[in-house]
Amino acid sequence: MVPTKKEGRAKDEEVIKKLEGLGQDMLEQIKAKSTPTFTTALRSKGNIIYDQGIGYIRLGDKTEERRFVNVGQARKFMQTVAIASKCKKFLNEDAHTSIRGLFYQLKFSLGENLDEELFSEQSESNPLVEDLEVALNVKREDLNLNTDRKGVVAGPLVLRDKFGGTEDEIDCTRQGRSGWMIPSDVDNGMEFKSVDADYVLVVEKDAMWQRLNEDKYWKKENCILITPKGQASRGCRRLIRKLASKKLPVYVFTDCDAWGWYIYWAIKTGSMNLAYLGQDIATPEARFVGVTMRDIKDYDFLAQLTIKAKEVDIKRAEEMLSYEWILHHKDWVEELKTVLKTKRKLEQDALQGPRLSFVGDYLKEKIAKKKFLA
Amino acid sequence: MVTSTEKIFTEFKEHSVAEFFKKNQQMLGFSGKTRSLTTIVHEYVTNSLDACEEASLLPEVTIAITELDKDTGKYRVVAEDNGPGIPEKHIGKALGMMLAGTKFHRYAQQRGQQGIGASGCTMYAQITTGKPVKVVSRYDTKRITCELSIDLKSNSPKIMNAVKEDGNFGNGIRVEAEVGDVKFDKSSFGVYEYIRRTALANPHLSITLIDPEGQKSSFPRSSDSVPEKPMMVQPHPMGLSTNDLIDFAHREKECRRVSSFLQERFARVSAAKVDELRALVPDLDFDKKPSDLQWHEAEKLVKAIQNPQVKWIAPTTDSVKPIGKEQIEKSLRNILAPEFVVVTERSPKIFKGGIPFMVEAALAYGGGAGRANGSMTGSEVIRYANRAPLLFDNSGCAITEAVKEIDWKRYKLKNFEEEPISVFVNISSVYVPYTSAGKQAISNEDEILQEIKNAIMEAARDLQRYLSGVNRDHDRKERKKAILRYVQQLSKDLPELAGKGKSAEIEKMLVHLIETKYSGQIENGEDEEESTNGKNGKVEEEEDIDE
Repeated sequence: MVPTKKEGRAKDEEVIKKLEGLGQDMLEQIKAKSTPTFTTALRSKGNIIYDQGIGYIRLGDKTEERRFVNVGQARKFMQTVAIASKCKKFLNEDAHTSIRGLFYQLKFSLGENLDEELFSEQSESNPLVEDLEVALNVKREDLNLNTDRKGVVAGPLVLRDKFGGTEDEIDCTRQGRSGWMIPSDVDNGMEFKSVDADYVLVVEKDAMWQRLNEDKYWKKENCILITPKGQASRGCRRLIRKLASKKLPVYVFTDCDAWGWYIYWAIKTGSMNLAYLGQDIATPEARFVGVTMRDIKDYDFLAQLTIKAKEVDIKRAEEMLSYEWILHHKDWVEELKTVLKTKRKLEQDALQGPRLSFVGDYLKEKIAKKKFLA
Repeated sequence: MVTSTEKIFTEFKEHSVAEFFKKNQQMLGFSGKTRSLTTIVHEYVTNSLDACEEASLLPEVTIAITELDKDTGKYRVVAEDNGPGIPEKHIGKALGMMLAGTKFHRYAQQRGQQGIGASGCTMYAQITTGKPVKVVSRYDTKRITCELSIDLKSNSPKIMNAVKEDGNFGNGIRVEAEVGDVKFDKSSFGVYEYIRRTALANPHLSITLIDPEGQKSSFPRSSDSVPEKPMMVQPHPMGLSTNDLIDFAHREKECRRVSSFLQERFARVSAAKVDELRALVPDLDFDKKPSDLQWHEAEKLVKAIQNPQVKWIAPTTDSVKPIGKEQIEKSLRNILAPEFVVVTERSPKIFKGGIPFMVEAALAYGGGAGRANGSMTGSEVIRYANRAPLLFDNSGCAITEAVKEIDWKRYKLKNFEEEPISVFVNISSVYVPYTSAGKQAISNEDEILQEIKNAIMEAARDLQRYLSGVNRDHDRKERKKAILRYVQQLSKDLPELAGKGKSAEIEKMLVHLIETKYSGQIENGEDEEESTNGKNGKVEEEEDIDE
């Protein structure tokens, strides 16, 4: 079983130690005349578990040994070690790069006589980075590997950002119309100075975030307003998790369709692709605030604003209904069934129907009355 | 058609043999320019081989072919051997009289049984260039040099300019013939291929070809043992056709009655058997002279012989003389230098209820095996009857058919046509059932076809085992190579990662580790290991845009 990770950031020195340990174990194996190996958790579907007890998707206990002296694995093994070695260097130099940057650092010929590159495609390096993350029980951000930034924050949140040799204070109440963009790593060199909010509101769409920001919704409601701009990135999910850990309730506001539901459930339970990070990025406490088909009962005008459900929405609804765990969420079952019956869906933008700022009233009311989909 | 010889003989009574020859060139192998030349070489080489066998000598044969005139296809063929030579008084008969060979009326397994051989060449030379053949025969401290042609009307030899010398000249014969309307080429029907194949089936033969371009191709012998002399055997009644029976009966001089003729001249015929036949053919007088036997009577007699009620003891199989497993293997290795050779050794079988035959099959794979086809090498089927290569009438032959019917994929040969393989099949029998007088294809008798198939498949099983081994070996090497190429990079990164260790040392240890593992000693476990590396932690389902 992969040891349970200490939540939050791993210190650089710890990570470097882990990396060296990995290499030293391999050296010992070679000296003992056996193939160098390392063990990583199996990340295939068979080892991905939705743990109802803890409320998120995580990896099971199955592990897999990677061996160098094995035709199917030799290249990948060599590549993984190259990545590990490179990451150690980044950590020592306190330099960050993207996975793409890493790829270019490692894209060189294996030798004069070999018509082969260490890496020839970035898609090759991505799963190996994951291997390394799982094997060392660290996140890629801990290895100084960044991903693209996505997601924006506004609200009473002050952070300290140590980066590139300087330290900056970021006040998310003072980010104007654009907000603070969530970096890929919100752990290393990043600290909450103050979190003085009553809740966290995650809205699916950037346009909706801009609407609420303009209305100073976060100020009126004393909440932290986040948009992942669609599917939430690792950094965004990690930030939501960290805020939830500060005992802030998390409400999610998305479209009532396949995409919206998916964004919500990914934030809440994590996702299969990132099952190995489940504990760090899932926020089982998150609640779904809307928009829902049952809202039509309370807001008549919405009845006129439904649109035809797409095939993907129908399929997704059917698929979700087939999950065993969804049966524990009776409201959701009813919601999904309504979509299947009416073949209609609702977008969060529809709440701007009566007037642009109506959406704020809607959210306030729903949150106050705790009208969530359970 | 097993009766071609006799047919020729019977018809010979009405025509001059020479005239018959002229009309039936095709039947005798003189059709097509390339084939005619091959036939000529075949006749001389066969004569040399047979003569050396008789005299228990290791044959050494040289064939030299010179182009004289391209337009008319005129060539000079010189065939020389180290055989016993031909005594002066027999030279004419041997080389200048059709159907006068020493072999014609013998019933034993021999290469050619036509007796038209070398005389046919003399005739051919005469017809196409008008020139006599030049003969030098050395034997018993004598040397005879002469020119020889055939009197076409009387089928008698004409010897000219004979010179007889005494002295120690060794022994052997040299025949020089100028022939027209022929062509030398390196096709699979050509002289070169004929000689190569003859050498393959006659490991005791050393043969050299000097072609019109002056290029010398030598096929040295791989065995020093001269094949045993073929045994004379009595024919078994089950192998008789009406034609055969008439032929034998009419030549019978000693036996006075059909009944005694049957008992004396044929194998496994007892007085009791003759009585059985008598009962089946009541209107035939078994006391009449064999020479008076009429066609319709012979026909009834043959029918009675083949009547299933009459149970014959099978003939002895001693008469069948194969080349021998070891000999074939030696020879194939010697000439083809293949990667792998397998030869089957099977017991003689019977066809048509009474004729013994034996199939030898060999497969040579890789190396020089197969037929070069441009830059590619493809498969070839090398057919023999009593060691004589069959170059023509490929499609009608039981051997070709057998090879075609085999599912080669079962034996690890994915595309038979494109594999570097030589399929060698020799059929030995006193009576090889040819499809025609040209003697270039074996007829599709059920028993023969099946036996050829069995023999080849038996060999193919061994080849399959070999190829699986090769594949395994190849795989192992490939695996080793595939891993070794990453050693250097890993050895460079590991010390950096571990913060200790030396690249050079690590590299050395890793190379040693891999060399040991893929040296072939550890075979089990390896496959097991390979199979566990299927999935690499990839998530197959649910699209997710994390970044």
